[in-house]
Amino acid sequence: MFPLVYSLWLSFTDVNLLRTTGPALELGGLRIPLYRWIGAKNYTQVLWDPIYWDSLWRTLYFVGAFVAEATLVGLGMALVLNERFPGRPLMRSLLLVPWSLSRIVVGLLWIGILDFEFGALNGLLLRSGLVNGAIAFFKDGWSALNILVSVYMWNQAPFVTLLFLAGMQSIPEDHYAAAEVDGAGYWGRLWYVTLPALRPIIFLVLVLATVNGFLMLDLIYILTMGGPSYDTTTVSWHGFKTTFTFFKFGPGTAILYTLTALCLLLAFIYHRLILARFEPDA
Amino acid sequence: MAGARRYRGSNYRARSAGNRIVLYATIAAVALWLIAPFVWLFVTSVSYQRNLLARPFSLIPPEVTFENYRMILGLVRFHAEAQAGRILGGMWNSLVVAVVVTAVNLVVGTTAGYAYARFRFPLKTFSLFALLFTRMLPTVVLIPAFFLMFRALGLQNTLTGLVLAYCSFTLPFTVWIMKSYFETIPTELDKSALVDGCNRFQAYYRVVLPVSGPGLVAGGAFTFMLCWNEFVVAQVLNTKPGTTTLPPVIAGMNGQVNIDYSVIAASGFLGALPAVILVLMFQKYMVQGLTAGSVKG
Repeated sequence: MFPLVYSLWLSFTDVNLLRTTGPALELGGLRIPLYRWIGAKNYTQVLWDPIYWDSLWRTLYFVGAFVAEATLVGLGMALVLNERFPGRPLMRSLLLVPWSLSRIVVGLLWIGILDFEFGALNGLLLRSGLVNGAIAFFKDGWSALNILVSVYMWNQAPFVTLLFLAGMQSIPEDHYAAAEVDGAGYWGRLWYVTLPALRPIIFLVLVLATVNGFLMLDLIYILTMGGPSYDTTTVSWHGFKTTFTFFKFGPGTAILYTLTALCLLLAFIYHRLILARFEPDA
Repeated sequence: MAGARRYRGSNYRARSAGNRIVLYATIAAVALWLIAPFVWLFVTSVSYQRNLLARPFSLIPPEVTFENYRMILGLVRFHAEAQAGRILGGMWNSLVVAVVVTAVNLVVGTTAGYAYARFRFPLKTFSLFALLFTRMLPTVVLIPAFFLMFRALGLQNTLTGLVLAYCSFTLPFTVWIMKSYFETIPTELDKSALVDGCNRFQAYYRVVLPVSGPGLVAGGAFTFMLCWNEFVVAQVLNTKPGTTTLPPVIAGMNGQVNIDYSVIAASGFLGALPAVILVLMFQKYMVQGLTAGSVKG
C-alpha cells in the first residue's frame, strides 16, 4: 500500500529529481524524498491543458470501442466453443496463444502484418489487385487508433472467452430444458437463459476490460508512440510521457490519478447497473 | 442423463447440413484469426528481409533461413550485433526475475491464501478489501512512486528492484487465486490432520498443500507468464543496458532503423516461446484456477 499513498502524495508536490535536500522520509538510514507540498497546483495545471482533454475523449472512445469489441467477440467465440464439435480441445489451446504473448510481441507480429513496406496484408491486397498502392495503416490517426483497439482486442478477447465458457458450463441443463418446453429456439435460449445467467461474469468482464483499456501502454509504445501527432495519445500514455519522457513527476502522477478515479467510478457504476439492480430476484 | 445433454447449444449430430457448414466456417475463421498472426511471425523470422519486401508477395517464403536466429544468438557477426546481442542477456534477466517472483509468490502467496481461507484474524475483512482494491487499481499510478523510491534506495537498474516491484503487483492476485482454491478443499481434511497430531502448520504443508497441485500450478504459471511478458515497469526502472528484461530489449530493437524486421521477428518468436509453451502445458489447471478465482471475486 505504501507506493500507492506515496504516489498520491507525489501528485501534490513539486518533484525535482536534481534536488537532494529538503524533507524526506527516513527509514533506517535510507532517505525517501518527500518534496514540497504545492496543493492542487499539479491538478489545475493538468486540467487546463487542452492535450489532457483531447486525450481524455480519445481514451473514452478507445475504452468504449475496446470493451464493446472484446465483450462481443469474446462472447461470440465462447458461444462457438460451447458447441460440441471434433477438435474442440485443440481450439481451446489455440485460444490461449494470443493471450499468453507479451504485448510487445503482439505489437511486433501485427507490425509484420500491417506494415507499409513489408506487411503481409498489404502484400496480399496488392497481389489480389484490390488496391493499387500499399496502405499506410498507421499514417492516419483515426485508422491507427482503431487498429490499436483491434490489436488489443485480439490479445484480450480470448481471456474474456475463457471466463464466459466457465460461466456457460455452470448453467444447469434443466434451465435449457425448461426454455425448450416453453418454445424457445436457439436465440431465445441465448437471450432468456444464457445471458441472464452470465450476468456476474458480464460484470466482471466489463470491469476488467474497462480497467485494462484505460491502462494500456505497451501496445501504444510499440505500435504508434502516441502518434501521428497526438492522434493515439490516451490519458495513460499522456501521463506516462509527462512522467518519464519529460520527468514532470508531479503533473504526471496527477494525470494518472485522475485516471484511477475514473476507473473506480466506472467500476462503481457498473456495479450499480448490472449487479445491484438484479440482486433481489437473482 | 444422456437426453439432457442435448440442450446445451445444439447437438452436432442433429444439426442440419446448413447449420453445420456455418458452424465449421465460423470455427475455421476463428482458428485462423487466433493463430495466423503468430504463425506469420515465425514465417518472417525464418525469411530474408528481401523476400518480405518482394512484390508480388508470397505467403510461402521462397527461401528458408535460420540466419536471423544465429544473429541474435551471437553466432554470426553482423552490423547490429551489439543490439541483437542483448537478447540473450535479456532472456536470462527475464528468467531470473520470473523464477524468483514465482517462487516468492508460491511461498508467501499460498501461505497467506491459506490463512485467509481458514482463519479469522483482526482486520481480515479490511485487508481482503485492500487486496481487491489493489487488484482493481491501475498499476501505472504506482510506477512513478516505484521509480522515485528505488532511485532513493539504489534499487534502480537492479534485478532485486524488479523482483520487488513485480511481487507487489502479483502477490494480491496469487493470494486471491489461492484463497479461492483453498476454499474448495474441505476443512475436514485439516481437522483430521489436527486430530492425528499435526500442528496447524504441519496440517498445511503436509496435508493441504499436497492436494493443492492444480491451484499451485495455476498461480505459479500465471505469475511466471506475467513477469516474463511485463514491459512498462522494466522499461522504466531498468534503463541501463544489460540490466533489463527481454520485452524492453525487443522494443528497443524495434526502434532501430538499421535492424531488419526479420531479425526482430526472430527475437520476438524466441521470447514468446517460453510463455506460450508454459501456458499450453498447464492450460487445464490455469483455466480452472483463473476462472475459479475471478468468477468468485
